[in-house]
Amino acid sequence: MKQKIKENGLSLAFLVMFLLTLAGQAIAGTALFNDQQLVNGGEPVSLLKYVTSSDFAVDVAENWQSEYLQFFLFITMTIWLVQKGSPESKKPEEAGTGSDEEQLVGPYARPDSPAWAKVGGIRLSLYSNSLGLVMGLVFVLSWLAQSVAGVASYNSERLLDLRDPVSWGTYVTSPEFWNRSLQNWQSELLAVLSMVALSIYLRQRGSPESKPVGAPHAWTGVEG
Amino acid sequence: MLLAVLSTALIAGCAVDATAPARTAERFHAALAAHQEDAACALLSQQTAEKLPDPGQTCADALRELKLGAAGPITSARVWGDDAQVRLAGDTVFLHRYSGGWRVTAASCRPRGDRPYDCGVEN
Repeated sequence: MKQKIKENGLSLAFLVMFLLTLAGQAIAGTALFNDQQLVNGGEPVSLLKYVTSSDFAVDVAENWQSEYLQFFLFITMTIWLVQKGSPESKKPEEAGTGSDEEQLVGPYARPDSPAWAKVGGIRLSLYSNSLGLVMGLVFVLSWLAQSVAGVASYNSERLLDLRDPVSWGTYVTSPEFWNRSLQNWQSELLAVLSMVALSIYLRQRGSPESKPVGAPHAWTGVEG
Repeated sequence: MLLAVLSTALIAGCAVDATAPARTAERFHAALAAHQEDAACALLSQQTAEKLPDPGQTCADALRELKLGAAGPITSARVWGDDAQVRLAGDTVFLHRYSGGWRVTAASCRPRGDRPYDCGVEN
């Protein structure tokens, strides 16, 4: 048991932090919502009612979609684009999807390779791109969830302001939807840019996200 | 988890019954048409009922003075979360859902393009 926890410590730590922060967001969000209810002449709502509301759903989904977009772009763009000196990048001469031999697929698969890496056709093609596909799919679904929850939350606000509600089509072309989306995208893209660029010159001893402390700045794709 | 969020959004946003706010709007205008202003006031939200009268006036006096009258049949009703808009042939009414049921927050409303409605009764 202890060994299992140690072997999965990174996932477990992030899972616990994720659940705690989501709970924190729910509690803070309920308090903020109820504060706004006082202004609007409404009644305070329970934590359960808030976490099943479109207000909570849109706030959660808009952050999720941007995170999955970030990883989708990072995973797929680093196939072809390189950054000299960055441990997040491949060496310039390695750009591309790699040979079957390098990728250990088909006839080059090892006995302990995943089953779909040993076969050809659509299964190998799907499995070869499964990480990017899943990240991309979760991004699209989260963004869709943001739009559906967003139009509900936005229309509730519009009715409070004595304005007509809008359709989903109008909402997804509205400044409200794009402001929510773009403010998240810009921060995610800045975070990736910072990671790629700062890791050329800065080090974090012991982290696989960094080059070894003594590695020259020009070394690329070396993780320590 | 994602599906849960999506379902929540769908439930919160779309699968709502507009019958209850429509009935409240109808009862509000029926009370006004029958000159039962006290009954109409009881269907207003607390904030609206408090804001409506001038000093020395009751809510019923204020409604009587506005001469809102009958508004005709309901043409549409839309609900988003705890808020609703009910359109009648001669009026647009806004409502909010409280623990005690739907209450009118604004009535005698006229559209002004994308700006907020201009309402004779509002909170």
